[in-house]
Amino acid sequence: MINWNSLILVAIVAIGSSVGLVTVFSLGMRLLTNAQNINQHTKKKDGVKVSEAINRIGAYLMFTICGSAVLYGIYLIVPYFHLDK
Amino acid sequence: MDPILIVALVVGLALFFDFTNGFHDTANSSATAIATGALKPKTAVLIAAIMNFVGAFLSTAVAKAISVSLINEGIDIGPELVFAGLTGAILWNLTTWLLGLPSSSSHALFGGLVGAALAFAGVAAINFPAVLEKVVFPALFAPVIAGLAAFLATRIAYLMTARSQSSRKATGIGTGRSNFKVGQVFTSSLVALSHGTNDAQKTMGVITLVLVAAGLQPTGDHVEWWVIISAATAIAVGTYMGGWRIIKTMGSGLAEIKPAQGLAAEVATASTILASSNLGFALSTTQVASGGVMGAGLGRKGGAVRWNKAGQVVTGWLFTLPAAGAVGALSAFLVMSGPFGIIADLILVVSVSIAIFQISRRNRINHSNVLSEVEGASEVIASPRQVRKAAAEAKKKASKKVTAKKAPKKSAATKSKGGK
Repeated sequence: MINWNSLILVAIVAIGSSVGLVTVFSLGMRLLTNAQNINQHTKKKDGVKVSEAINRIGAYLMFTICGSAVLYGIYLIVPYFHLDK
Repeated sequence: MDPILIVALVVGLALFFDFTNGFHDTANSSATAIATGALKPKTAVLIAAIMNFVGAFLSTAVAKAISVSLINEGIDIGPELVFAGLTGAILWNLTTWLLGLPSSSSHALFGGLVGAALAFAGVAAINFPAVLEKVVFPALFAPVIAGLAAFLATRIAYLMTARSQSSRKATGIGTGRSNFKVGQVFTSSLVALSHGTNDAQKTMGVITLVLVAAGLQPTGDHVEWWVIISAATAIAVGTYMGGWRIIKTMGSGLAEIKPAQGLAAEVATASTILASSNLGFALSTTQVASGGVMGAGLGRKGGAVRWNKAGQVVTGWLFTLPAAGAVGALSAFLVMSGPFGIIADLILVVSVSIAIFQISRRNRINHSNVLSEVEGASEVIASPRQVRKAAAEAKKKASKKVTAKKAPKKSAATKSKGGK
């Protein structure tokens, strides 16, 4: 009667995607904080600049992943995109 | 009674249900964002309302009411039955709003329709396995799935930002975790959008059902444009009015929520709703959102769920189906007695609704006092920039007062100076 398979699937997808997304977002925030700390609290040498840039680029990459996940969510909501399922 | 007239009554009642649905469920998407200070209360409900309105238009697929499958085939779902069912749903929504309980509007609608069908056609009318499968079991699992997701996500969020937090504290620059608020703006919008596509569809389905039953529309495979527009408007207006009592319960009553938790709860809510609606497992938005808040509350060290309040909320869920069903059934008996019964029923519903609104005025809760106790908490987690801004504004106000006293006519000149 109760569809255990789809229940378990829903649980796995929901838990997996929330944990994944929050991990990526937190990582992005942490990289951004790192970049700001490097910028404000170390003397400006070439090596420092590079590591600041790496942190910052990493952070933006993480936020981009989160943004695409939100867009994918919108894609899922709108049936127009997958009518011929 | 004139069939056109009763159809008009049912459409009006369905739109009123849609309105209560909207303001009942504002909390799902905006409560945690308001609680953490990510969005101001008025802004949060405005965004939720716009997203609900847009969401109602996004989905042009046929709005099939799940409620139909709860009632066995062969039972004629005429306008009278829907009328009686809607009254049960509306009164339950208003009662739970008065008590500040987040309860599922879908369950209220199912309950009302099932109760009305019971009164019309007896026990044989109800498809009990479907009730168990579509209402009872999902109600048990929705909060657990969302709660677990939010719990784990909260843990991860605190773990991932732990070192940067301590390093920021050491350097004396604000706390990095309040940046989670930025993410909350997007996640709460996504929750509102998915709510709009789901819940506005429900009302559209009910109205379409009645139009088909009355022979005003040949088949149920399309939704009239005026139905879409009016349903979208009703749910958006309801959302903008905001069920502040429920927002208060969800934002601060169940657990104390900080930005990282708020983000975790909203991500969990959004992904659970999206996963279930795409994999064909019907979950209640409200129960998912409440479960997410509780899970996030447990996930933070030192955080706690107020089990007392949580118990009240869950009790409300248990009563939703039978209570809305009882009102729906009583209403059905009245309706069956003829045109006067319908009019009496309508007068009864309207007067009870007005009474509930009057009672609610005794202790009004609105955007200005909704989370007064939480505001204290959000000041602690305010960024230094916000603190500086607030201090500057206070200074400006004080100086304005002084200049206004000294030279009231020169206030225009001082204003332009201040604007520099």
